[in-house]
Amino acid sequence: MRLLGGSLRSELEEPLAKGWLGAVVIAALTLASLPIIVTYTLLVVTSFADKLVVSPWTDFQVTLMNWKMFFEGRLSTTAAKIYTTGYVLKMIWNTFVVAAGVTGVVALTSIPAAYTISRMNFRGRSPLMKLLILLHAFPGVALIIAVYAMFVATLKHIPKEYFVLYSFVYVIVARASLEIPMAVWILKGFFDRVPWEVEWAAIVDGASRLRTLYQVVLPVVKPGIAAVAIFAFLAGWEELIYVLVFLPPEEKTLATFIDSQLGSASLELAYLPVVAAAATLYLIPTIVFFIFTQRLLLETMAGGLKG
Amino acid sequence: MPRFRRRRLTPILFLTPALLLVIVYFIVPLALTLWIGFTPLRNWKIDQLFEYAGLRNYEAILRLAKFDPDFKAVVKTTIVFVTATLTINVLGGLLLAIAAYIIDERVSLGFRLLWLLPRMTPVAIFGLLWYYFFYKYGTLNEVLLKLGLISDPVNWGTDPSYLPYSAWAIIVFVNGLVGVSYGMVIFYSAFKNIPREIITAARVDGAKTRHIIMHILVPMVRWHIVFVTVWQLLSLLTSYAHLYVLTSWRVVDSVYGSTWALYVFNTAFSQTISNQGLAAAAASILVVIGVGLGLVTLRLLRFEEMMQIPRGEV
Repeated sequence: MRLLGGSLRSELEEPLAKGWLGAVVIAALTLASLPIIVTYTLLVVTSFADKLVVSPWTDFQVTLMNWKMFFEGRLSTTAAKIYTTGYVLKMIWNTFVVAAGVTGVVALTSIPAAYTISRMNFRGRSPLMKLLILLHAFPGVALIIAVYAMFVATLKHIPKEYFVLYSFVYVIVARASLEIPMAVWILKGFFDRVPWEVEWAAIVDGASRLRTLYQVVLPVVKPGIAAVAIFAFLAGWEELIYVLVFLPPEEKTLATFIDSQLGSASLELAYLPVVAAAATLYLIPTIVFFIFTQRLLLETMAGGLKG
Repeated sequence: MPRFRRRRLTPILFLTPALLLVIVYFIVPLALTLWIGFTPLRNWKIDQLFEYAGLRNYEAILRLAKFDPDFKAVVKTTIVFVTATLTINVLGGLLLAIAAYIIDERVSLGFRLLWLLPRMTPVAIFGLLWYYFFYKYGTLNEVLLKLGLISDPVNWGTDPSYLPYSAWAIIVFVNGLVGVSYGMVIFYSAFKNIPREIITAARVDGAKTRHIIMHILVPMVRWHIVFVTVWQLLSLLTSYAHLYVLTSWRVVDSVYGSTWALYVFNTAFSQTISNQGLAAAAASILVVIGVGLGLVTLRLLRFEEMMQIPRGEV
């Protein structure tokens, strides 16, 4: 690269499609992206509108009414309060608990495992990694029947007052397990890139493997840990099916709340602008992580699968 | 001597937490699912877990496939859904990646992120977006009415006069929007790894942009195309969360919006009569296909190259 002359160098950095061709490609991309742009915009706008905003020419008034109604537990303009404010806050808290729980379980289990697979040579290392990739590709729907059967079978031995606690722990651990293969896989890639000399120096100085991992290696692979933690948090935050299946119906998250509003039983009752407010609130963490980790996200997705 | 013992012990110690969860929540359930397929388990009467029903559930699936119109529809929907969505995911992903690669990089970052958004959005919200779009008083009907193409709003996903094609179009469209970003990200990063000198050399020799796309970019990512195809095929066969939302909210017809995976889930977790034996047998068939495709993927990943022996341990 350094040998190339000035004109060639600028040629290297210029986009392939310049001038009108570039403009046409960007216009086509914009057109193809319209469904995404329009639907997300309409959702957020509706949460601040006095009616369902279905098109750019819908006539509406800006209002905070939907947000107020959602937090008061009133789900339509005509009906009485269905939930209390405490219940709505509990719902948000539940969503957070599941997400944070999944993050914790995934981080605590996959960091040492990925370190071991990247750094230590033991019998069964290669088959183990193969198994993890296979598991990641595994039909989750095949597992959930048996995982629920195990839940039902163990529930008999749990005292009634611990049912709710048990179902939260169960849903967190079960959901986190699904993320472990991918997390180990991504983290192994990050550990592989840490120069061995860094670690060797610490071990020669007499530090144990655990201390070396904690004090020398972990700080170097922080971006990898961040990536895995964010993926795990979002996986827990967005989960619908597992929460629906394992948590008792009165313990709702934002996902199961939205589902209960639109599910076949209550379709006629749903006042969609309030649901839009709940959904917009539910979308915020995703968008925040998205903006702050954009490059990490794109790189991990592309790199994670290639090791 | 104690030092030697610690070296043997550490890998086991570090691997145990992850392995334990993998065994309890992957290996055991897998074996259990295969077993439940041979039991008469219904309505979660766990005692029936220890009864043996022989091949009864598998015979039931064959019978359903022969005589039950709804089950036939599920099989048809699975084939159409997987084929059409896979095509969109691979070709659409390739088109998006090419478009993103040939334009200015800062502009392309915005588009690549925008297309990743559906993948990162919670299923319940993404379903809601398309509920607003497709339902009777939603965006699509509003636009079509405005254009004068229809005179009355239509329930596009459930109106019998447009079934099954309208329901199929909706599920393919919604899942395509989620799935297409995977190919886009993989292909884009593969394009970025092509040495720029090759492209510059072609330019100097007078190649047009379309020549560069057809003769350099696409051939160079052939292997990635195969990989994305297999991986997405696997994920389309087995994922069902978006379809669950679309069918249970009546955005689309519950028969022509159900694939094999969703059929398994609904059969096992139906509120009325649930049949876990039948569901597990149907799931076991997915497992066999899944393991087969997974093994193909492992070969494609050139696995051994990635598992070089750690230097420090030699």
